[in-house]
Amino acid sequence: MTVQRTVPAEASQLAVLNQFLRDFWTAAALAPARMGSFELALEEIFMNLVMHARQPGIAPRRVELTLSLGPDAVTMMVEDDGPQFDPLSLPPPDLTASLADRNLGGLGVYLVRNVMDTVSYARIAGRNQLRMTKRLAD
Amino acid sequence: MKLRIETLAEVTYVIPEGRLDFDAAPDFQEAMERLLGGGTTQLPAVIIDGAGLEYASSAGLRAILLAARAAQRAGILFGLCALQPAVREVFDLSGFSRIIAVHADRATALARARQGRP
Repeated sequence: MTVQRTVPAEASQLAVLNQFLRDFWTAAALAPARMGSFELALEEIFMNLVMHARQPGIAPRRVELTLSLGPDAVTMMVEDDGPQFDPLSLPPPDLTASLADRNLGGLGVYLVRNVMDTVSYARIAGRNQLRMTKRLAD
Repeated sequence: MKLRIETLAEVTYVIPEGRLDFDAAPDFQEAMERLLGGGTTQLPAVIIDGAGLEYASSAGLRAILLAARAAQRAGILFGLCALQPAVREVFDLSGFSRIIAVHADRATALARARQGRP
């Protein structure tokens, strides 16, 4: 089962994509407790694209979300038509910094890498493609 | 997300209910700044009771980190308690558990506050 939805790169559209994810989860009859990682990854990745969209000239305009149910895993793919950017190239946050020194950036992508089993980036046909998978059983 | 604030004994509890996502984080941050930066009343301890918090993203975590910093500057004991497993997971992954106190429940948080430790 594969479903796909395209929205403008605007913050208000996250609610639309979240509902799309919930509908997919229900249709696939998956355990609700397993949806949290996908919800988190969707917010982090989509909101990063929306933030970039605020900067003129480097804005992705459309974001496409694809959800696929495999035999033992769910794959979520987020594609955008912005300039080439690999979020996985960002350095991880310094987890050992003190409360006063802890940098506020870089946390979202770091969380995505850790709640998903695999995350990969590709630039294909003028689009950024971030593919995330997570197994359905431990 | 709904937010309640109640003071019982020596602890002021901040009780968020629902989702602390990019949408809810700015209001949460503002409420915490009012509570911690007001300077009028010296609160001995502020604990976020996470029993009703279903979800937190990096935007929510940032707001909590800023609140912890504001508390540190104001000399107020600060921590969280009763986090749901999903929220606890992102809190641990982000490394925040090392720099912000997380208690099992209100009783533990109160006991620590009475000892003057976060």
